[in-house]
Amino acid sequence: MSRSAALGLLALLLIGYVFVQRNAWEDRALTRRSSLPGYVLPSGVSRVLAMGNKGILADFLFLKTMTFFGERFQTGQIPSEADWSYLMHSLDTVTDLDPYFLDPYVFCEGVLVWWAGKIDEANRLLEKGIAKRTWEWRLPFYAGFNSFYFQNDNAQGSAYVIAAAKIPGSPDFLKTLAARLAYYGKKTKTAVLFLQQMLMETNNPQLRKTLGKRLAALEAASSIEEARERYLKDFGHYPEHLNDLVSSDYLEKLPLDPYGGRWEVLTNGRVFSTSKFSEQPSTKNPSGVQPVPQP
Amino acid sequence: MKKILALANITFKEGLRSRAVYGIGLFSFFILGLNITVAGFFMRDVGKVTVDMNLSALSIAGLLLVLFVGLNLISKDIDRKTIQLVLTKPISRYEYIFGKYVGIEMFVFVALFLLFVISCLTVGGLSVVYEGYFQGFVWSNFIVAAFFVYVKISVLAAIAVFFGVIATSSFVTLIFSFCAYIVGETLDEVVFYLKSSASSSEVVISEGVKKVIAVTSYIAPNFSVFDFKTEAAYGLALQPSRVGNSLAYGLIYILILLILSTFIFQRREFN
Amino acid sequence: MTPEIELRGVTKRYKTGLFKKPVQALRGVDLAVRKGEVFGLIGPNGSGKSTTIRAILGLIRPDSGNVYFRGDQLSATCIQQEVGYLPENPYLYDHLTLSELLKFCARTSGLARDTASVRSGELLARLSLDHATRRPLRTFSKGMLQRAAICFALLHDPSLVVFDEPMSGLDPVGRKMVFDLVSELKDRGRTIFFCSHILSDVERLCDRIGLLSHGRLIDTFDTGALTASRQGQVHLKVDRLGAEQRDSLAPILEGVTETDDGLLLTVFAANLAALAVRLNQLGISIQGSREDRLTLEELFMRSIQGGEK
Repeated sequence: MSRSAALGLLALLLIGYVFVQRNAWEDRALTRRSSLPGYVLPSGVSRVLAMGNKGILADFLFLKTMTFFGERFQTGQIPSEADWSYLMHSLDTVTDLDPYFLDPYVFCEGVLVWWAGKIDEANRLLEKGIAKRTWEWRLPFYAGFNSFYFQNDNAQGSAYVIAAAKIPGSPDFLKTLAARLAYYGKKTKTAVLFLQQMLMETNNPQLRKTLGKRLAALEAASSIEEARERYLKDFGHYPEHLNDLVSSDYLEKLPLDPYGGRWEVLTNGRVFSTSKFSEQPSTKNPSGVQPVPQP
Repeated sequence: MKKILALANITFKEGLRSRAVYGIGLFSFFILGLNITVAGFFMRDVGKVTVDMNLSALSIAGLLLVLFVGLNLISKDIDRKTIQLVLTKPISRYEYIFGKYVGIEMFVFVALFLLFVISCLTVGGLSVVYEGYFQGFVWSNFIVAAFFVYVKISVLAAIAVFFGVIATSSFVTLIFSFCAYIVGETLDEVVFYLKSSASSSEVVISEGVKKVIAVTSYIAPNFSVFDFKTEAAYGLALQPSRVGNSLAYGLIYILILLILSTFIFQRREFN
Repeated sequence: MTPEIELRGVTKRYKTGLFKKPVQALRGVDLAVRKGEVFGLIGPNGSGKSTTIRAILGLIRPDSGNVYFRGDQLSATCIQQEVGYLPENPYLYDHLTLSELLKFCARTSGLARDTASVRSGELLARLSLDHATRRPLRTFSKGMLQRAAICFALLHDPSLVVFDEPMSGLDPVGRKMVFDLVSELKDRGRTIFFCSHILSDVERLCDRIGLLSHGRLIDTFDTGALTASRQGQVHLKVDRLGAEQRDSLAPILEGVTETDDGLLLTVFAANLAALAVRLNQLGISIQGSREDRLTLEELFMRSIQGGEK
């Protein structure tokens, strides 16, 4: 083959490459979107295969899990039961490989709890961290929140929060929180405090969006609750309608539910929304997405 | 002693001047670059991820250095019959073995030390950029962990010398040494997994397999003994007794291997 | 006088592969090399020359028989100090410089630093390598490597020198250098043992020559005796010779050989004059003459063939 023919062929191939390469990457994006998350090797096998690099294997397995769910969130896909199962197994393996690793516990709290609603699983994972990462106040803090907020177990919640407060270096608010839990019980304000702390912990933009939205909703609900309490103090009874709070100047205006629902007051006095603070319209309840449990 | 050092000296120079060193150096730079890039992906435990990557990079670099350079420093001698030239000089077989080993050690030490310095710079830099996420980090733990990576690689080098003396071709030596590395890294996990699952009767294991594993755990090196990565990543307390025992384990294993190698080498003939 | 080196009934067998038959490299070799003599070992490829050398150096152990160095049974330690070895196709350390190699050589030989530097200076100058001391060995040509290996072998001025094909790969200049070196060593009373394919060199340098074939030492020649025995035969070339004439010349002729263009009459030098006169009388003109020297090569071939029978 002559030199010019070879060069010509090369030019053609390069042009072809531009197309083929683009197609290949697009195919990959599609595949990833539609793919099942895949199989997670059981911890025992992973530990052996790590060949002394358990820490790094944990890091990369976790990164893979985070990326997978990040993609799901970005493309607006709702993770399926299979996806949640993958998440649980993956986090299980990661924390078996490296029980001291903080990130999976944070991720667990952010996603497994707030998105998948798998509270028992989450607390089981957190227990692993609490046993090993003894200097970390965040772990019993998360577990306490889960118990209090989702499992309606005030006693357990308090116990966790007190344990967290005992850890040297833990923030002061924990001590007051423990007291609050004992006093206020299930006020939305408590949840607000928890969520504010959670938001401070997270760098992941997707998770921040999710939590931020939830926080805004709860803050709105909390402000309404507090206004109702002030009304009660002044008038001796709760207002008939929430709009009364606005007309009587206890609230400037009725805050909007970021999830697009209508506010409703529950029998125990807590303010809730028809949106149930979830991403989907309240009529639908797609598999896997649990709304915030009813009090 | 002088002769051991003379041979060590030229072995060291041969190792350092070989082309493979550049490849391994490039690989290490790549890993450290990856380190800096990837660190930001993680949410909180940036310190731990950085330490993990650096120590694993050191470990892999050490493995490559021994398998592709250190091993050749003995195998090539035998393959190309340079060893026949050397052995006709007044140098005993044991002086040859120890001289070669010390030379390989010197070379691995210099190479790993350079990498260690660079990784310290990386860790230092990242700890400034991601201040607050390096709370658990303790320099002394990191240094101890890196030192024990070197100890582990030294044991591997002794294994490579041992196989180099037994095996007939450099490729066979390479395979055996690599297999020894795999066994060394996985032995701990396998033995403890079997012990725990056997007691919880999750998996039924035959007596024969159990015996094989027991024997292997006596003979084969357990590299997890030299693994202080978790302590370095999280700044956990280092028990002096554990450090002392691990060091003693490494030293004794190396000496036993070298002496055995000398015995075998005495009997070896050169065609 | 005890010989420097002695092999008595040495046999050696090699396994060439897992499923292949073992090769009998040496079958009962008896050899003795006297102090101060130059002994050349020649033989066809695969005859066991290198194996013999390795046995002498202690790099292999004989299956049976013994190797003796100065009367004592060979052990690695006793011979190392006294011997300088040059293998065939030496491979040295690629990345070392020549001076580093020689420094290493000096240290392992236990030479004092000043002695070593003097000796290496001399040797390097002698072998024209003094310009290349700072270059890494991988940049050396084959000839230079060979000479570097010779330096390595001779640095500690050994009393016994063992060379395996010292001239191989050298250009004529290099060969002359080695030749002169060996002559010099010989003059200084060193014992030299070498094997080579170049029979002319062997003939010129050696005091005694051993002929090895199929692992057996077939013959040992004394070169002095060799040259002596060769003298005395002359060939005369003539056109033709009649049967009668041949008969009449028979008493003084050693042999008649037919060639393409005539006949070669072989006669002892002592009888040359008589033959010339007779040929003149017969009217046969002498086309040409040649003095016969039975070369080592011919001796080699004859002995090999004889050995094979």
